[in-house]
Amino acid sequence: MKTYDAVIIGGGPAGLLGALTLGNHGVETLLLDENAEIGGQLVKQTHKFFGDHEHYASVRGFEIAKKLRTEVEKTQVKLSTSSTVIGIYPENTIAYVRNDQMEKVRYKKLLIATGAMEKQLPFINSDLPGVYGAGAIQTLMNQYGIFPGKRFLIVGSGNIGLILAYQLVQAGAEVRAIIEALGAIGGYEVHSNKVKRLGIPILLNHTVLKAIGDESVQGAVIARVDDKFNPVAGTEKELVVDTICISVGLMPLTELAEQAQCKISYIPELGGYVPLRDVRMRTTNPDVFVAGDLSSIEEATTAMIEGKIAALQITEDLEKIDLEEELNEELKTISLFRSGPKSFKIRAGLEKMGIKNSKIEVPKVTSFIKRIEDGKVRAVIECDEEIPCNSCESVCKFDAIKIGKNLNAKPVLDPSKCTGCSLCMLSCPGLAIFMESVDTVTHKGTLALPYEFLPLPKVEEKMWGMDRDGNYVCDVTVKKVIKSPNKTNIVHVEMQDEFVDMVRHIKFPQKESPFVCRCEEITVEEIEKVIDSGITDFEELKRMTRVTMGPCGGKNCRMITLGILSRKTGIPISELSHGTSRPPVKPVEFSIFLRRDEK
Amino acid sequence: MEGRITEHPILNFTKKKTVKFFFEGREVEAYEGDSVAAALHASGIRVLRYTPVNGRPAGFFCAVGKCSSCLMEIDGIPNVRSCMTEVKEGMSVRRQKEKGDVV
Repeated sequence: MKTYDAVIIGGGPAGLLGALTLGNHGVETLLLDENAEIGGQLVKQTHKFFGDHEHYASVRGFEIAKKLRTEVEKTQVKLSTSSTVIGIYPENTIAYVRNDQMEKVRYKKLLIATGAMEKQLPFINSDLPGVYGAGAIQTLMNQYGIFPGKRFLIVGSGNIGLILAYQLVQAGAEVRAIIEALGAIGGYEVHSNKVKRLGIPILLNHTVLKAIGDESVQGAVIARVDDKFNPVAGTEKELVVDTICISVGLMPLTELAEQAQCKISYIPELGGYVPLRDVRMRTTNPDVFVAGDLSSIEEATTAMIEGKIAALQITEDLEKIDLEEELNEELKTISLFRSGPKSFKIRAGLEKMGIKNSKIEVPKVTSFIKRIEDGKVRAVIECDEEIPCNSCESVCKFDAIKIGKNLNAKPVLDPSKCTGCSLCMLSCPGLAIFMESVDTVTHKGTLALPYEFLPLPKVEEKMWGMDRDGNYVCDVTVKKVIKSPNKTNIVHVEMQDEFVDMVRHIKFPQKESPFVCRCEEITVEEIEKVIDSGITDFEELKRMTRVTMGPCGGKNCRMITLGILSRKTGIPISELSHGTSRPPVKPVEFSIFLRRDEK
Repeated sequence: MEGRITEHPILNFTKKKTVKFFFEGREVEAYEGDSVAAALHASGIRVLRYTPVNGRPAGFFCAVGKCSSCLMEIDGIPNVRSCMTEVKEGMSVRRQKEKGDVV
């Protein structure tokens, strides 16, 4: 049986960074991953990641996976994909299955980065096909390119639920609602803003009671909950959905760590049962390390840093070299990432393990004047929450955006330095930056916004301007469409100046109008439009729209059309001309008009 | 084929080679690289098995090999995770109804 100096189980962000670090130090390493493609959950993430540029901020998840894979492939690390580890046995032995064959290897040092799985939420019929974890939907949609359904209910408003809602709309599906049992949205504000302006309602203090359907989901019953999370009688509501997505949190996959003799402990702040470990990721078994979601449910960035820390310590152990400087640098970086208000749970959980990670006061930056109204284009940053990200500051070439040393601080814009170059808008992972200009002479306002949907609008096309909650504000005219290589395209729209501050999303005009004529598919709106243009004679209306001229000969639509005409003109139906009826009154084959012997 | 995303603002879904397999004896078309569960979803099939005790219809939950809710009978072998098994030309896939026999 082969013994490797280091074995890594799991090729997600933590495992890949571990592999890259070990590979760069020449440590003989084997990486085992269950999937055909390495990258863990990164491969199905289509959004840009937060963080700093050293840790792939503004790069989309699946592209981070690609980059890391290429880097690891340059090292000597042996990658074994489609390899399912089924157990860890005495004498540092790992058993895994590959191509229906059992294989065994030994390790000197082991890094377990098995990640997490989605929590279940028991409710009536929650076992019905169509009740899926949010990650399952992402796998179907973003990895395989398959529609997992048409109409969705999302349960849970953490980052995963919010991101999923946005991705579903990008793929062309409909999200009926996101419900959240707590009284506040769980995820980042920039993520919830992205979803709200699409018009997706986020219902707080709500839970799902039941999935409706026999063989598959056809609906859901939701209800409001009180402060003890009990459903309030009489508030039940039925939603017509075909898929219910559960995104109520993740829990670490600890089985292999347990089998590797690592002590586990229940620390809910970190996601449930987690292996006890020190600040350098070493578990209670000195030869075994953990990293990523297995050690605490967090973001991909911290998973990557943890993977690196573990790998550096493993290298020190094996190669007896001094990597203290590099290690301390990474430890400093990870505590900085965890120093913001959004990481309070992680800090509390780690403290239970004896790992101190102090909250660093996030410095307040002097705020500048809000806007200069001189007709020039300038950025408007709507990032009002302390989250670990400084992408906009890093890309700004004009020093107009300040975040400072602690990347959790909110960005502050100095409009006098902003040139409107839009680089920050392109890179912002939260899509929270817009460009505005107002012309006080012509009273025209221009808004540039990030647009990640298909189809792209065309120049001079009329669209609807939607506000931050997805409500219609005004009509806007598309002035410029800039296609971007990072797929965050920019659309410039023009409107009356007073609306520039309100519009945050654009939508193709959607007017639902009932059909009057089933044969020729003519709507009430189309008929009204023709009447409004001055056509008040029924015969003329027929010729203009083809209403009553289809196969039914007007049986379905004549009375409705006359009703509309009467309502619009004020002339009673009895006084309107009702047109001429011509044979045939039923649809028949033309050949019947021929004599029997004719061809 | 139903249920395939052809245009996406961020991702490129290049057309892959088609593979034919059998679901309950009926021919189903899939793309090379699809998992069995994914290919069935693309064809509108969500019920992957019937539970052994109550006979309830069940599908997958996690789609990434963790929850064991998607077990099917694949080429005669029961209890195979259909979300982690790649479709192969001519493969025979059946909904699992019992717990599977020990051979």
